[in-house]
Amino acid sequence: MDEIEKKVVDLIAEVLVDVNKDNIQLDSKIVEDLGAESLDIYDMIALLEDEFGMEISDEEVEKIQTVQDVADFIKAQKQA
Amino acid sequence: MKRRVVVTGMGMVTCLGSGVETNWDAITQGRSGIGRITHFDTFGFSTHIAGEVKDGFDIYGCIPVKEFRRLDRHQQYALVAAHEAFMASGLQIPLADPYRCAVVVGSGMGGLETLETGHDTLKTKGPKRMSPLVIPMVVVNLTPGLLSMKYQFKGPNFGVVNACTSGASAIGEAFRLVSNGYADVAITGGTEAVVSAFSVSAFNAIRALSVRNDEPKRASRPFDKDRDGFVLAEGAGILILEDLETAAARGATIYSEIVGYGATADAYHLVMPDPEGQGAYNAMKLALMEANVSPKDVSYINAHGTSTELNDKIESLAIKKLFGEHAGQVSISSTKSMTGHMIGAAGAVEAIFSIMAMRTNIVPPTINLDNPDPDCDLNYTPHKSVEKPIDCAISNSFAFGGQNAALVFKKV
Repeated sequence: MDEIEKKVVDLIAEVLVDVNKDNIQLDSKIVEDLGAESLDIYDMIALLEDEFGMEISDEEVEKIQTVQDVADFIKAQKQA
Repeated sequence: MKRRVVVTGMGMVTCLGSGVETNWDAITQGRSGIGRITHFDTFGFSTHIAGEVKDGFDIYGCIPVKEFRRLDRHQQYALVAAHEAFMASGLQIPLADPYRCAVVVGSGMGGLETLETGHDTLKTKGPKRMSPLVIPMVVVNLTPGLLSMKYQFKGPNFGVVNACTSGASAIGEAFRLVSNGYADVAITGGTEAVVSAFSVSAFNAIRALSVRNDEPKRASRPFDKDRDGFVLAEGAGILILEDLETAAARGATIYSEIVGYGATADAYHLVMPDPEGQGAYNAMKLALMEANVSPKDVSYINAHGTSTELNDKIESLAIKKLFGEHAGQVSISSTKSMTGHMIGAAGAVEAIFSIMAMRTNIVPPTINLDNPDPDCDLNYTPHKSVEKPIDCAISNSFAFGGQNAALVFKKV
């Protein structure tokens, strides 16, 4: 995992109370596999936005499924 | 038909530590928990002292580590106090009929500190950066909500917001739910965590807090002529109430019986008590009438005793009016001299201290009462605790806003 991917995993682990960080893989689906519910997702977005200094719209959030999707989105934003 | 209501579990978190026994040891030894504020930088503040809850207060490890950031401190304290109370009660989840199980918990200001930091975020980073946790961490009814989720209590559930009377009012309202048959079990009490920059500066603005910054442990001095305001503190007190028959049927340990609750309003002023003490007097009188107890049978009063000029004088006046010639005989103390003033948690923690006084037959002291105010001329148990049989106790709580509540407890 690169630095951005590691940071994303850390933040998701921080938000999801019942999930052990070791069980979060890049291809884990955030809702189906990790059990995130809506409040968790909004919490993650707020933390990610704060950490990476960007805004993630609700439409963009809907396209995100896996941990890898989150990292890819951040990388794309950084390059844009 | 009114039912008898008993206390079958108690728990607390204060600046003196976690756990009823730990606190009772400290209180009966006259130990103060007040110190310099560490939670925020007090540079420029008039007050630099408070009764802060120390890190590591979750001595049971009952809050998963990752949950801390999702809970305001007032919610964390309540969960820890409730854990102790629930364990002590011996109740098993799920209860037979969860719709007969109520939660009524008070807090004066709820997640005020979360509101402060949320407002900082709004101003410095803009509206899109607001955390989705702010609302559930701020609102007062989320503590009863959290407790309902944890213990699967599905009956009446609400927060009580009544400033310094919140904890006592919550217990009184829960008592009525059980007494009148709307619930068989209730988790009740109060919680508060407002040692924060916003709240200390705001209380300073109304000149309510002690500024005896160089002597933190001597700052809270109820009924003393050199008192200069209350000392803000944090904590939580939680009690389990049950209908006597239900409790007896399952062989529960019964700590005390609640026999009376009196609630009144001064209808007088924003922050000053009625100078005649009529509200306080009537709250105690109504509670004793409900309890069917005459003033001469009361052996202990856990006073509201904030260490402010007006409260201590007027509470003393109200006691003298009600107790008449017996006023000099009743043992009184203000445990706020040691815990500081926990606002919405005060009434609940002090209800537990009143019960502990009966269980141990020890009147806890009012520390720092070196030179009594001439207007405060009752037996406040200065400096050292006193052993004597205590069969009936009153716990008083009075609020800015004029709300008054008195609870009467009896030994079982």
